[in-house]
Amino acid sequence: MAIKRLFVANRGEIALRIVRAAQALGIETVVAVSDADRDTAAARLADRAIVLGPAAASKSYLDPRLIVHAAKESGCDGLHPGYGFLSERAILPRLCAEYGIAFVGPEPDVIDELGDKLRARAMAKAAGVPLVPGSDCVATAADARREGDRIGYPVLLKASAGGGGRGMVIANNGDEAEAGFHRASAEAVAAFGDGTLFMERFVPLARHVEVQLMGDGRGTVVHFGERDCSVQRRYQKLIEEAPCAAMPDHLRAQLHQSAVNLAASVNYRNAGTAEFLYDVKREEFYFIEVNARIQVEHPVSEMISGFDLVQEQIRIAGGAPLSIAQKDVVLSGHAIECRINAEDVYRDFLPSPGRITRWEPPVGPGIRLDSHMSTGAMIPPFYDSMVGKLIVHGTDRSDAIARLANAIDALVVEGVPTTLELHRAIIAHPDFVANRIHTRWLEQVFLPGFGKKAA
Amino acid sequence: MTVPKDTALEAINDARALLDALVVSEWREMHVVSGDSEIFLARKGGGENPMRRSSAPLNAAAPPVPVPAASRAEMAVKVPHVATLVSALTVGTQVSAGQTVATLRVLGDESLLAATVSGTVVALDAKPGDLLDYDTPVVRIAEDA
Repeated sequence: MAIKRLFVANRGEIALRIVRAAQALGIETVVAVSDADRDTAAARLADRAIVLGPAAASKSYLDPRLIVHAAKESGCDGLHPGYGFLSERAILPRLCAEYGIAFVGPEPDVIDELGDKLRARAMAKAAGVPLVPGSDCVATAADARREGDRIGYPVLLKASAGGGGRGMVIANNGDEAEAGFHRASAEAVAAFGDGTLFMERFVPLARHVEVQLMGDGRGTVVHFGERDCSVQRRYQKLIEEAPCAAMPDHLRAQLHQSAVNLAASVNYRNAGTAEFLYDVKREEFYFIEVNARIQVEHPVSEMISGFDLVQEQIRIAGGAPLSIAQKDVVLSGHAIECRINAEDVYRDFLPSPGRITRWEPPVGPGIRLDSHMSTGAMIPPFYDSMVGKLIVHGTDRSDAIARLANAIDALVVEGVPTTLELHRAIIAHPDFVANRIHTRWLEQVFLPGFGKKAA
Repeated sequence: MTVPKDTALEAINDARALLDALVVSEWREMHVVSGDSEIFLARKGGGENPMRRSSAPLNAAAPPVPVPAASRAEMAVKVPHVATLVSALTVGTQVSAGQTVATLRVLGDESLLAATVSGTVVALDAKPGDLLDYDTPVVRIAEDA
């Protein structure tokens, strides 16, 4: 049954995005807010807003019983979890099912399976999706050399019991593998009382690529191409692009097929993303994990495909079959998104909440701004500091970069420091322009120089 | 639509929420300035309180403490989170502090709302079956003189 009234269990730009998507489908909306979010764009636009609890997320956005109660009692027959908060916690769809509410996302059992890294890896292996080449337990230095030769250097020797980088050694050849075994094993014994090691291929120049998927829950899965999210700081994505221009076409086709096979093997329902590590030098990709939700960076896939993924999510949750067949998905041009945060980049990215005193969005062809901000709007200090996402679509990557530069220059945000200036500098950097970046480029190459020049 | 804000407990709730945020973060201290309000929180070994540096000397005259009005004060008992009202005492009922004045429900679980003062129920702000937002008053109690 198609959803008639949708409960939005999130905040910020994604809450507003979901309200708009529902309204475009003629669906009523009820938005959940915390005490700090009463006067927000999504609350104003929705048919109704319900105050769950105080500002603290643990007493509002992270309480599944309050959320499902509010949804049920306000007559909602569907619930969209957005991203973050409870979006990948199986308790939410389980409670929804118990109270007759359609959850806009995967089955709770699938969320649980994919959330368990070891089980997700096993599922990927069963579906024929490549994993990082590695070993079983390595018992001796001679074993370490043999396994290293087989896997291919450089390799990482890791403590089985470990975590946090302790007992971890990189080896570039057979001799280093033997020497590294003794060192890593001794460290592992000292740190964990267990010297058991295993080995894994180390990828020094890796890109983060991911495939946008949408499944009907009956084994049909459509992909919307891949995204490249290699500009990261502390594993947080700052800039996302579609497609991954650094990937050759034959590999791209394999990547899409792997992602589709994996999702189809679990009869995946609704939107999801399969994440991979792309070894640029070897031209190989390895499975990382599946994110069982709509992602922050979904707009770049929408820009190059022309489809509204959130609307499709809502339709599928209402029981409709996929409205899009793979042959309908024609990708064109290049899209780039930058996440604008209220952070002081000159003070170690210190979150800087506060009131926006001036907000002037850029306008023009190929420019999209997903934001809940406006002049006078407040960024409360209790949640993440995202101000919005600026997305551009160009004919190719260099055209998209040029449009993004103009759009950043035209966007006026006053009242709080933002990461806009950082984004402007990143996209002007010769490495970014030439697409020579990798997941550690921002932290290793760009930021050290950026701090100095700016000081 | 927007939801009107009751400012009575806002400052306390903000401080609690900020404390929660500090506890789960890796930050050593937190200094938030918003409009005319300012708050500083720090872990042990965190930075010096910048408000202390700039504030008036400690021996300055204390601000006046509000004195309760001579008339009987009216206290609203509010819901601590979104909930459906199951039942409430009727107007005119005498209650003592700690006594249950209303029953709330979240999904299948009921919880009790207690009077914070002793007095008489003088008004009901909600009726059974209502879905109440966080911080909505349910009953008003006129405090015993």
